[in-house]
Amino acid sequence: MNFELTEEQQLIGQSARDFAKEYLEPIAVELDHTGEFPKKVVAALAKHDFLGLLLPGTVGGAEAGFVSYVEVIENLSRYSAAVASIVNNHTIAAYAIQNWGTADQKKEYLPGMAKGDTLGGFAIFEHGPTPGVGPDALVATKHDVGYVLNGKKAFVRNAGEAGVYIVFATMDPAAGAKALTAFIVKADAVGVKVGEKLETMGLKGCPVADITFENVVLAETALLGAVNQGVAISAQALAVASVAEAAQTVGIGQAAVEHAAAYAKQRVQFGKPVAVLQAIQTLLAEVATDCHLARLGLQNAALLIEEGKPFEVEAAMIKSFLVRLGSKMLLDTCQVEGGFGYSETMPLPRLFRDIAGTNLLDAPGDFPEKLIAASIA
Amino acid sequence: MPKCLVCYKWTLDEQDIKIRPEDLSLDSSRAKGKISDFDRNAIEEAALLVEKNGGAVDALSYGTATVKQSLKDALSRGPEKVFWVADASAENADAYVTANVLAAAIRKLGQYDMILCGEGSSDLFNQQTAQRLAALLGLPCLSFVQKLSVEGDVVKATRKLEDCQEDVTVKGPVVISVLSEINKPRIPTMRQVLGAAKKPNEEIKIADLGLKPEALEPKAVRKSVKGFVMQRKNVIYKESSAADNVAKLKASLASEGLC
Repeated sequence: MNFELTEEQQLIGQSARDFAKEYLEPIAVELDHTGEFPKKVVAALAKHDFLGLLLPGTVGGAEAGFVSYVEVIENLSRYSAAVASIVNNHTIAAYAIQNWGTADQKKEYLPGMAKGDTLGGFAIFEHGPTPGVGPDALVATKHDVGYVLNGKKAFVRNAGEAGVYIVFATMDPAAGAKALTAFIVKADAVGVKVGEKLETMGLKGCPVADITFENVVLAETALLGAVNQGVAISAQALAVASVAEAAQTVGIGQAAVEHAAAYAKQRVQFGKPVAVLQAIQTLLAEVATDCHLARLGLQNAALLIEEGKPFEVEAAMIKSFLVRLGSKMLLDTCQVEGGFGYSETMPLPRLFRDIAGTNLLDAPGDFPEKLIAASIA
Repeated sequence: MPKCLVCYKWTLDEQDIKIRPEDLSLDSSRAKGKISDFDRNAIEEAALLVEKNGGAVDALSYGTATVKQSLKDALSRGPEKVFWVADASAENADAYVTANVLAAAIRKLGQYDMILCGEGSSDLFNQQTAQRLAALLGLPCLSFVQKLSVEGDVVKATRKLEDCQEDVTVKGPVVISVLSEINKPRIPTMRQVLGAAKKPNEEIKIADLGLKPEALEPKAVRKSVKGFVMQRKNVIYKESSAADNVAKLKASLASEGLC
């Protein structure tokens, strides 16, 4: 048993860290203030192959594997989780095409996505209780030449910036989610309207908006996978995404604990740095421990994904662990920095909002404990 | 089209080294390795020259057994092949030993048009390797280089000296040490990182270099290394008036020669 990353995985992590220091650290605060999509950074991400990390070399990808991918997401998230979220949402759209697309679909979309010419978005959520249910549900109707989409998708990340979306629509409103079917929809298709950008609590710079589909006519070739396969596709894609989102949470937590530790060594109270006080040491030690354990767990899940083994339970466990502890990590590190930590002049409030965004917005419909509990018996 | 060889050192990342408060000794037990900072500039400059003018870049490193960890990192930054000498003598090697080993290895490898080094290593920063190498190989040496170009078989360099810049040209093989300002080392792309595994590397056994035992004995022997920690004096002036406090502060600074 070996817990050590391979040389390549370590070097990829180092490259991601160097990239983040050079490109993300200088803009992270401004991005949080303006929420403007960081086009130049996304172009630089593409130049360094971060947008085609999981894709095969035949379409221009780096074929680096999922363990390397979570290393990249953690290191980007240390400096800007918003940028990591852009990468993750793009990657999961590319992952869906790579896994369920036809040879022609892969040939048409993946080279551009690997190169960064086309950004991807993953449109699964709706305002109803579950996709395919409710008045705004996106409905796909069979048509002579293909399908027609009508309805709305909610909280779509990379909305307005993506060139292609993986869109889930029900083929039968009465059956709801059971008839969920995946489609590849180009952003410039007639009838696709991106709504106003949603002002979010965190992850600012990764655009979130609803997308309305009005009589959007799709060719038969837009179908991704099989009719009614949407639930299976979205469940696996979201489970894979949840492991990368765990890396996002760990990256944010690691950034917070490192900042709090540095602060505690500098902040002198009662003639000594507060880092020597047991209460402070306990807070820092607990957050560092949570980060370490979460990292081991998510790397384990990532390795299972990379090796093509069942990973869903391990992914659910790490998600459950971090949903409980993610926000606590930030509360504890804020506590270490006291009043200054609460101030917007410090990075912790931004990290707090980003960790909330990671845990709340990216949460799949099912709660992870259900899957874990079912696996025990 | 220059044929370049870059010499680099695999050092500990100083950010990972902790100072033990009890005796100021260094704890490097959890420190990771890295290519010495200035040497990254040397690798980058060679890669840029070859990208612009054609030619080839190889790399060479001498270190302990850990030097093997550096190979893929070095190869991901441009060189087509890396040669490495791993020997326990590197643990305490000074610039004299390092230059002896590198020069012997270069003689074995054959002629290069340009041999590039960083101005100094991240750990010892002796700033001697390039000069010693040039002397041992009988080549001209250009140090403190902040700008470099090649025209035909002529190397043009700008050297940054204490109070001026010097433009020089050299024809033929030359040893060059570069400053950090000469370029910004690239961040290897994912494909460059993964492609490094497919590039060749070759070990050169120290026993095959024909060096006498005394060539591996350092002239400068390091007895200890201790960290430097700034100690606070915790002086608080408690006079009733601010003017008196300032006066005391000023007197205190003056007594220490600080104003």
